[in-house]
Amino acid sequence: MRAGQSRSIRIGYTAFSMAVIGFIVLPLIFIVWMSFYSNKILSFPPEGYTLDWYRRAWALSDFRNGFFLSLRTSLIATVVALCLGLPASFALVRGRFWGRETVSTVLMSPMVVPGIVGGSALFVFFLEVEFLTGWRVAGTSLGLIVAHSLIALPWMIRLVTTSLISVNPSIEEAARSLGAAPLTVFFRITLPVIKPGLIAGSLFAFINSFIDLEKSIFLVGPDSTTLQIALINYLEWNFDSTIGAVATVQIALITVLLLITDRYAKLSRAF
Amino acid sequence: MLAAPGLVFVTLGLLLPLALMLRNSLNRYDPSELMISAVTAENYLKFFGDAFYQEVLWRTVWISGLSTAICLVAGVPVAYFLARHVSALAKRMLLIVILVPLLIGNAVRTSAWMLILNDKGVLAAFLGLFGHEGPLGLMYSAQGVIIGLVSVLLPFMIITLNSVFESIDQNLEDAGQSLGAGHFTIMRRIVLPLAMPGVLAGSVLCFILSMNAYATPVLIGGPTFHMMAPTVYQQIAKVMNWPFGAALAFILMAVTLILTVGVSVVVQRRYRKWSE
Repeated sequence: MRAGQSRSIRIGYTAFSMAVIGFIVLPLIFIVWMSFYSNKILSFPPEGYTLDWYRRAWALSDFRNGFFLSLRTSLIATVVALCLGLPASFALVRGRFWGRETVSTVLMSPMVVPGIVGGSALFVFFLEVEFLTGWRVAGTSLGLIVAHSLIALPWMIRLVTTSLISVNPSIEEAARSLGAAPLTVFFRITLPVIKPGLIAGSLFAFINSFIDLEKSIFLVGPDSTTLQIALINYLEWNFDSTIGAVATVQIALITVLLLITDRYAKLSRAF
Repeated sequence: MLAAPGLVFVTLGLLLPLALMLRNSLNRYDPSELMISAVTAENYLKFFGDAFYQEVLWRTVWISGLSTAICLVAGVPVAYFLARHVSALAKRMLLIVILVPLLIGNAVRTSAWMLILNDKGVLAAFLGLFGHEGPLGLMYSAQGVIIGLVSVLLPFMIITLNSVFESIDQNLEDAGQSLGAGHFTIMRRIVLPLAMPGVLAGSVLCFILSMNAYATPVLIGGPTFHMMAPTVYQQIAKVMNWPFGAALAFILMAVTLILTVGVSVVVQRRYRKWSE
């Protein structure tokens, strides 16, 4: 808020920014609105309003099962990312070892390698494993969990390392010198301090796994189709308000998770 | 070592499969046996010998470049606005508003754009109020794909630029102003040169993401609008031509890398001249 900057410039910035943010957000508002239309064939403005599309979306087993499969897969992926990411974050922040930069690059690489490339590499790898050993991974929930854990891990590490950096090691040293065992120090001192980072990391890991399309598209099978894949499969042949209903549920879920994350961490730090 | 489990996991789940894919790109494809072990450059030669695939690559590059440029032009004022003209609370709320569309997922966001761009959709109905008639023709077109891509990429650009603008000392702008510079002179001569690393980072991020975009070209562009990532998917998962699909994936990554590094070097050289 600069006193010196002229009013017209400020108004110009505000108007332009609102237009751009509107451009980003408006499509989502329209798709939520569309989910309540009573029209069979999509047209504007709507003839009336109904909740039937939600019933229909729920009745379609692709969407219902896809939703629960996505929830389960993302939850497991988040737990895997936590188990692998928390110790790795400690090593990255506290460790002083040769090749630390390389270790960090490798751990973050699933975020850097494009989803389609990583997904196709994993798909071919799984099939080659199957040819060699007869062990089927592609198209099973195990394959999905591996792919989604890879997606979740870098987000976990990014947010946990940021909060670990802010922990002053001398507090831990003080506790240790007063006779606390290493585990006591971890649970009583370190963990409470990095809890916001852990929560934000878990939520970001969960969200990014839940919305993944590019990796999952290679790995879904007839009985294991995630919600995002069910959505684009449906879109290939239909475009009606059922999509709106599913989209609205997802928008509500993601918004709530983001609002929770915002309480624990600065959201812009995740990018 | 504490990082070892994660390291093993990423190595087995990403690096090893990538290495295998690089090896596969040198193999030979056979319709009945799928893949025959060989060491041949024929998959890469096939790409560069076939006008169709070069057109796919060229389309991917120009659409990504144009989308990135649009994001830059639209993103700079918004990021600056968030950094300088907004209270902390308003900024936090606007940030969530920007992040929800970003983290909503490509499937939902793209279907929302299909609803808008459709010939019987929101935009057509809106323009109809002003007497516009006939189909919009935005679905299954390059314009439609660019609109969809820009809406995915803008949040990334805004957030990257915003953090750079916030790190710039506001006194510099005040000094410029007290010396009589107008707002646009201050932006051009002080703020943007200082923000160059962020401008570059944001642009590189947007360019990489749109080079690899999958959902937008498939759903808005339709089956005849070919870009690289959908073509990789097609070759690997549908045609099952793994050697050629692998070659496509590595060509895509190599072209992306060469272009982003090239542009970064040029911009940084100019930027150094500026700051001297």
